[in-house]
Amino acid sequence: MSDRRIFVDYIARTEGDGAIDIVIGPNGEIKKARWEVWEPPRFFEAFLVGRKYDEIPEMVQRICGICPHGHHLAAVRAVERAMGVKVSRQTTLLRELLHYGDWIQSHTLHVYCLAAPDYLGYESVLAMAGNEELLPVVKQALSLKRLGNDMSVLIQGNEIQNRTSVVGGFTAVPSGSELRKIKERLKEAKDFAVATVRLGAKVASQDPYPQLVRKCEHVSLREEGKYPINGGRLVSTEGLNVPDWEYPEWLIEKHVPGCNCKHAIVKGRDSFLVGPLARVNNNFDLLSKDAQAIAKEVGFTVPDFNPFHSIIARGIELVHAIDTAMELIDELGDPVYEEPKYEIKAGEGYAVTEAARGICCHGGRIDKDGVCQKWDIVAPTSRNVYNLEKDFEYFVPKLLNLSDEELTLKCEMMIRNYDPCQSCATHSIKVNLRREA
Amino acid sequence: MAKPKIAFFKFSSCAGCQLNVLNLEPILLDIVGAVDIRYFVMAKRENFEGPYDIGFVEGAVTSPRELMELKKIREECSILVAQGACACHGGIPSVKNFSGMTQKEMEQRVYTELWDLKSFPAQAIDYYVKVDAYLKGCPMDKDEFVTLVTSALKGINPLFRYHSVCNECKLKENNCLVLTKGKACMGSVTAAGCGAQCPSLGRPCEGCRGPASDCNAASLAKTFIDLGLSRDDVVRKFRKYAGNTPEFSKGAEAV
Repeated sequence: MSDRRIFVDYIARTEGDGAIDIVIGPNGEIKKARWEVWEPPRFFEAFLVGRKYDEIPEMVQRICGICPHGHHLAAVRAVERAMGVKVSRQTTLLRELLHYGDWIQSHTLHVYCLAAPDYLGYESVLAMAGNEELLPVVKQALSLKRLGNDMSVLIQGNEIQNRTSVVGGFTAVPSGSELRKIKERLKEAKDFAVATVRLGAKVASQDPYPQLVRKCEHVSLREEGKYPINGGRLVSTEGLNVPDWEYPEWLIEKHVPGCNCKHAIVKGRDSFLVGPLARVNNNFDLLSKDAQAIAKEVGFTVPDFNPFHSIIARGIELVHAIDTAMELIDELGDPVYEEPKYEIKAGEGYAVTEAARGICCHGGRIDKDGVCQKWDIVAPTSRNVYNLEKDFEYFVPKLLNLSDEELTLKCEMMIRNYDPCQSCATHSIKVNLRREA
Repeated sequence: MAKPKIAFFKFSSCAGCQLNVLNLEPILLDIVGAVDIRYFVMAKRENFEGPYDIGFVEGAVTSPRELMELKKIREECSILVAQGACACHGGIPSVKNFSGMTQKEMEQRVYTELWDLKSFPAQAIDYYVKVDAYLKGCPMDKDEFVTLVTSALKGINPLFRYHSVCNECKLKENNCLVLTKGKACMGSVTAAGCGAQCPSLGRPCEGCRGPASDCNAASLAKTFIDLGLSRDDVVRKFRKYAGNTPEFSKGAEAV
C-alpha cells in the first residue's frame, strides 16, 4: 500500500517561489495538503523600524512587483492617518485612477497570461501566440495590459515602482490632455474587456469546474457609494463589518512551521478568501452598470463560492475598472500641481487597500521625529494560503479519477485561482501529489 | 546562428524585474521570437534544464538554498546578468544588513517559529560569483534589457552609461533639486541610465541604480548635512538600495 503524492516543485505562472505537496491515502483520504511558500523571508517589518516615515511607502511597494500599488497606497494612507495628514480631493482621485490602472494591468496579465493557458490547453501565453486563431486575442490582451501600464507611467512615472506619489500628495501630476488620451484608449478597450468576461464564463463552464464549489468566508472592503479600491470598511459574506483600521483585531495570523508564511483566520471563525471574487460578492451593487449587465448576461450570480469563477470576477472588474477610470478622468479635468504639505507628528495609523489580488493591510507607529517605531504588513496572498489548503482537502477527493498529470494541473489551477504573489506571502508554489495505492 | 537559449531566475526580491520583461508588450512577441526562452517559471509551465546562453538573475542572495542555486546557475550560463537593484547591489533586502538588529532579533520581530528560518545578510550576486553584465535600477530599465538582448544577438558589447544621473538631468534641462529646492537628491553619485526618471518628476533621486563611476559620496554626505539633514538621515540615504557597496559606504561613514 503506497501513498499517491502530488508534488510540484516551483509552481509556474505565479509570482515567486512555492510548492504543492499533497499525499492521498489508499482510500482516497487526504493525508496532507500543503502549499509551501519558500520565497525567502526579507524581514520588512523588522528593517522598517528606524526608517523615516516617507521611506515606508517607498520601501513597502518593493515587497511585490506585481501589486506594488496596493502596498504603496495602503502604507501612504497609514502614515497619513498616523500623522493626521489630510489630502486633497484631486490626490484622492489620482490615487484611485492609479490603482485602477494597476488592476487593468494585473487582471489582464492574470486572465490571459497566467490562467487562460490552463483552460485552453497551452503551457504559456507565448505558446498560445503560436496559434494563428489565438494570436489576435493575445495581441489585444497585450495591448490592454499596456494601457494599464501606461496609466501607471503617466501618473507615477514607472510601470512598477512609484516615483511621484508621496505622503501628502504627488510630486508631479499628469496634464488633462494626457489623461484624455488615456480615456480615448479606455473607450476603445471596453469591448475587449466585455469579451474577457464571456471568455472567462465559457472556459470555467467546462467540466469539472462547475462542480468545484466550496462555501467559505469571503472578506473584502466595502465603501459607501463606490466600489472599494483604496479604502472602506472590512466586510464579509458572514457578516463581518468593521472599520478597516481594526484589521489587526479581526483578521488573525499564525506562523506555520515548514512554511515561510503565516496562516490567517477571521477572529473566532475559520480561514477566508480575499480577492476579486470576494470583492464582487460583497459589492456587486456598486459595480458599474455595464459590469453588472455583462455579469448577468453570462449568468454570474452572487454570492458565488466557486474559486474557479475568479477568472470571471476578474473580467467583470476589468469592465468596471475601465468605466470607473473614464469617470475619474472626467472628474479630474485638468489637474494642477499641489505641493504636499504636512507636519511630522507622532502617532499610530492603520489602513487597508484592495490590491488586485485582495486586501492589503499596513500600519504602525511613528515617533515625533518621523521615525518608524513599529510596522505591520499583511499581504493578500498570506490571507489566502490557509483557505487554499482547504480547497485542496475538499476538491482533490472529487478528482481522484484523474491521472496524476491531470490532477497535478488541477491543483496548480487551484493555486492560480488566487493569482498568488508569493513574494507577498513570502513563499512559492510546487505541486507534489502522492497516492496510496 | 541558433537562437540564444535564455533563462530567468529569481532570488530574494519582488519579481518586478521579471514582470518588466512582460511589460515590453508592444515588442514582447518579437523579442520572444528572436530568442529561445528555456526557463521562465513566472511565465511558462514547460521549463528546461541548462546549459543556457544567457541567464538573468533577479534578487539578492539571502539563504543557503539561494546560494547553492546561484553557483549552479553560474556554471550553466555562458553570460550571467544581474537583473535589477537587488541582484546588482543587494537592493531593498540589504537594508536589513544595517538595521542595527541581529538576524535573530529580526526573526523574532516577524515570526514566532524560528527553527525553520535560514537567512543571512543580503548580498548582490557578484559577492559570490562572476557577473558579466548589470541591469541596474529598481526595477531594471526595460530599454536597457532590450539593449542587452539585441547586443547579444549581434555579438557585441552593450553600451551602458556609468556617468551620474546629473548628466541626464542636465540633458533634460531640469532645474536642479539640490540647488533650487534644497532637496537631498542622490543623483550626483548615482549611475545614469534611467533618464533621470525621479528628478524629472520633482522627486529626489534615491540612488536605486547604485554608485556612478568615480562618485564622491563623502562630499555629497557633507552637502546633505549642510542642507539640514541629521546624521541618521544621511546614513539612511546611503544604506538603502546599494548600502553594501564600498562607494555608498563612504557616504554613510563620512558623517
